Amino acid sequence: MADDILKLIQENVIQGRITKDDEGFDDGMAGQPGVTELIETALAQKINPQDIISKGLTRGMAIVGEKFEAKQYFIPDMLASAQVVGAAMDILEPHLAGAGAKAKGKIIMATVKGDLHDIGKNIVSILLRGAGYTVKDLGNDIDTSTIVEAVREEKPQFLGLSALLISTMANMADVMQALKDAGLRDKVKVVIGGAPVSEEFAKSIGADGYGADGFGAIRVVESLFNANAA
Amino acid sequence: MSTRTSTAEVEIEVDKRHVLRRIGYKDDCEPSPRIATLITEYAQLAQQLIKPSYSYVIRNVDMVRKRDVFIGDLVMFRSHVIARLLEQCQQVGAFLVTIGDELEKKTTSLADDGLILESYALDVIGSSAVEKIAELVETEIRKMVSAQGFCISRRFSPGYCDWSIRQQKELFRMIDGGSVGVRLTTGYLMMPQKSISGIVGVGPSCVDIETYNPCRTCNKRNCLGRR
Repeated sequence: MADDILKLIQENVIQGRITKDDEGFDDGMAGQPGVTELIETALAQKINPQDIISKGLTRGMAIVGEKFEAKQYFIPDMLASAQVVGAAMDILEPHLAGAGAKAKGKIIMATVKGDLHDIGKNIVSILLRGAGYTVKDLGNDIDTSTIVEAVREEKPQFLGLSALLISTMANMADVMQALKDAGLRDKVKVVIGGAPVSEEFAKSIGADGYGADGFGAIRVVESLFNANAA
Repeated sequence: MSTRTSTAEVEIEVDKRHVLRRIGYKDDCEPSPRIATLITEYAQLAQQLIKPSYSYVIRNVDMVRKRDVFIGDLVMFRSHVIARLLEQCQQVGAFLVTIGDELEKKTTSLADDGLILESYALDVIGSSAVEKIAELVETEIRKMVSAQGFCISRRFSPGYCDWSIRQQKELFRMIDGGSVGVRLTTGYLMMPQKSISGIVGVGPSCVDIETYNPCRTCNKRNCLGRR
């Protein structure tokens, strides 16, 4: 019974359906329960919220990622699914503490100084929430000093930096230097992303990882998390 | 000195096929019915939110020296790529186009409400719309100079190739951003963000000017602006 409902949650993440009124990626799904109704049912059946996340949401998003990479899904399809995960987490997060579940870790996200683009960062933030991380999003055009102060105060395991412009990606290097100067560099793993950024650039500024797209960012964070947990 | 300036508000139609291509749906690839409906709905909304306007000016190129281009007493472009283009040109057309700030305000409010799919759709529609206005201005400049037997180059914007984004300041000396409601931030970004600024080279040597493409000799294979 639990497996059935978790499978349905997974399927509705793939279809990008929040409520029963939503159409799915495929035709003919309107009227059937969406993820929010299914999660309410699952919680009423005392299914562990952590299982709902790992076996429903995260698995569903993993399949969405495969479809995205196979070019069966495009950015809007992926966003529809990410939005479902965001709505699901809004319901689940208050239940997680009660169920004794621990978040995997905290991530601070920011678009660096001088850059006003934040859609990519917002996508990654939702995907990270769906993967079980606590996300604090500082926004866009964020001063290096504000980022460093947030790392000092919040003590996150990860810092995600985004830039969409060649002229602003250099500010990522400033953040790395400021973290060193503040004695915080070894306290946080830094993952960077954004259209002009590359693996080589990440290495050149001493970042711990680079995500080529939303799913790539999740893979990098997960691998750093697993390496740390091992 | 030859100077011609034009500032106008225009009407444009959101081109849904152009929007879908920007998202990645090529001609042989259709979106799911839900995404198609969403794009249609938000294209209609965008039509009410965009306030397209443009300004352009055509000025003589006074002197090109190595990587420096002098236009009048006040403007100096500094870039090898732009200098190589404009040394073949007699004039330069500088343009600024925008769709105003209403669409991006709505994009932000949708994202704040967690509606990132809708926010993304509207953002792409806005990018498509501003690109359409740039194409419209390019066509208008081409028509105007063709009467003199001149041709125009492809468009170049500060931030392309070795032309620093800081040179927006020089471009804004040629065009009054205020006339279309566009200003520069301290980081030289334009507000509203859905704006495009740039230049085209203008001159009689059509083959050289129209085919000028610095990407052919550039090694940055992964460059986002590669043409």
